[in-house]
Amino acid sequence: MATQHSRAAARLMISPAVVVLLLWMIVPLALTLYFSTLRYNLLMPGANPFVGLENYRYFFTDPAFTTALVNTLLLVGGVLVITVGGGIALALLLDQEMFGQGIVRLLVIAPFFVMPTVSALVWKNMFMDPVNGLFGYIARAFGAQPFEWLTAAPLFSIILIVSWQWLPFATLILLTAIQSLSSEQLEAAEMDGAGFGSKFLWIILPHLARAITVVILIQTIFLLSIFAEILVTTGGGPGVASTNLTYLVYIQSLLQFDVGLGSAGGVVAIVLANIVAIFLMRMIGKNLDA
Amino acid sequence: MARAVTTRRKAVNTAIAWTIGLLIFFPILWTFLTSFKTEAEAISSPPAFLFFDWTLENYGAVQERSNYFRHFMNSVVISIGSTVIGLIIAVPAAWAMAFVPGRQTRNVLMWMLSTKMLPPVGVLVPIYLIFRDFGLLDTRTGLVIVLTLINLPIIVWMLYTYFREIPGEILEAARMDGASLRNEIIHVLTPMAVPGIASTLLLNVILAWNEAFWTLNLTAANAAPLTAFIASYSSPEGLFYAKLSAASTMAIAPILIIGWFSQKQLVRGLTFGAVK
Repeated sequence: MATQHSRAAARLMISPAVVVLLLWMIVPLALTLYFSTLRYNLLMPGANPFVGLENYRYFFTDPAFTTALVNTLLLVGGVLVITVGGGIALALLLDQEMFGQGIVRLLVIAPFFVMPTVSALVWKNMFMDPVNGLFGYIARAFGAQPFEWLTAAPLFSIILIVSWQWLPFATLILLTAIQSLSSEQLEAAEMDGAGFGSKFLWIILPHLARAITVVILIQTIFLLSIFAEILVTTGGGPGVASTNLTYLVYIQSLLQFDVGLGSAGGVVAIVLANIVAIFLMRMIGKNLDA
Repeated sequence: MARAVTTRRKAVNTAIAWTIGLLIFFPILWTFLTSFKTEAEAISSPPAFLFFDWTLENYGAVQERSNYFRHFMNSVVISIGSTVIGLIIAVPAAWAMAFVPGRQTRNVLMWMLSTKMLPPVGVLVPIYLIFRDFGLLDTRTGLVIVLTLINLPIIVWMLYTYFREIPGEILEAARMDGASLRNEIIHVLTPMAVPGIASTLLLNVILAWNEAFWTLNLTAANAAPLTAFIASYSSPEGLFYAKLSAASTMAIAPILIIGWFSQKQLVRGLTFGAVK
């Protein structure tokens, strides 16, 4: 139905968005790639000679890189297991008939709206602090030694904090998906004598497959870039015990002022994210046709 | 798939769900309660739940400590500013792609989404240096620019999924009646598009309000929004639980309320329409 005239108008209307995003994508990306081949430290003014792939060699041979890579994967994997597992359980629960369902729903999704620095600091101080935190108090009440959450198990503690923030997201999306399941199908299965286990495995889980995939892929994009929660709780420590890739690049570029090395790390982070992104794009692309 | 169940079953469901719901909500409730305690009561053992001398002194102390209101306004200006500018750029783009789809529309949409996959840390160094050279570090303008750009793909996508649900026949009918493109937009499209635009606005204010990578890395004392301001409590002086709680309560309350109202739009917005 579109005329020549409206096509031209459409192109004109799309172009501002395309142009700004193109600039936003290409300019910094090109600069990151360029800087990553220079010996460039803000503390050492002067020439920034081309050094080829030297920064990448430093970055990959730095023992902190391996730790950070493993931490990144543990952080993403740990949070995904907790939020998807917990999300399915919670979604099943919230789908049941109960009194005050709407209010419970509001309670459960609330953590998603708490800004990362607030949730990290509240958990760090008011719950995980061994002296003044609630967990410490509970431990002492049972005659146990308070657990030093952020020094003894820093990465695990951060996984817990981040899971609390993302559980609502998984729950909300999985609940939306469960509610679109037809009850006839379940009733038919029940008449055939199916228990909860087989109903869950053969009807509910397959129905949720698409929503679970969406949750995993979208969360992964955000979880690869966890930053604030680490900054305000452990600062990546002790040592590099809770440093992920994002935090490592931050240390190198903004704390050590090593533009070259930081850029090389940035490129590595981009490559890692792109591997994940390819899967996500394919998923959402399919939906566009549906 | 909810079906009729016995009252007893319903009571059991209610008990379990409320317990879990309150446990998940507890850190927020605890922060809220602690904000009304004195610093001594905030760390008292055993902890005081409701029976303490409620006081508002922390809210005043937080403002005195470092001009809380300024950071609050920074958050307001940055989140609303970036969302409104994003909408101005995105509404025409999403409208055109929804109603005049071309061969490239799908590719453009996917490409826009792909910019969202770019990890922020991958461009941290150049953005930081560009901001330094253009005097944008620690300015509201700088943050509005960055947050507009990082949320633009989400805004376009959300609007697109809403606009696509507006029946095209209505526009055709208007066109037959001789409506110009401009009239079409103002009189036919806008009234139908307002709910979608409103949801998009709310979701993006939430996302921008809570953004905590660029706000932490590109601001200092001057333009720091609440995300960055609250981070200053990670190296506090003296007793600070009650003050931290008061600052946190004020930082999350407005967005929690907006979030509760827009929870239905949240799902489709955050999944780019893949789950509705």
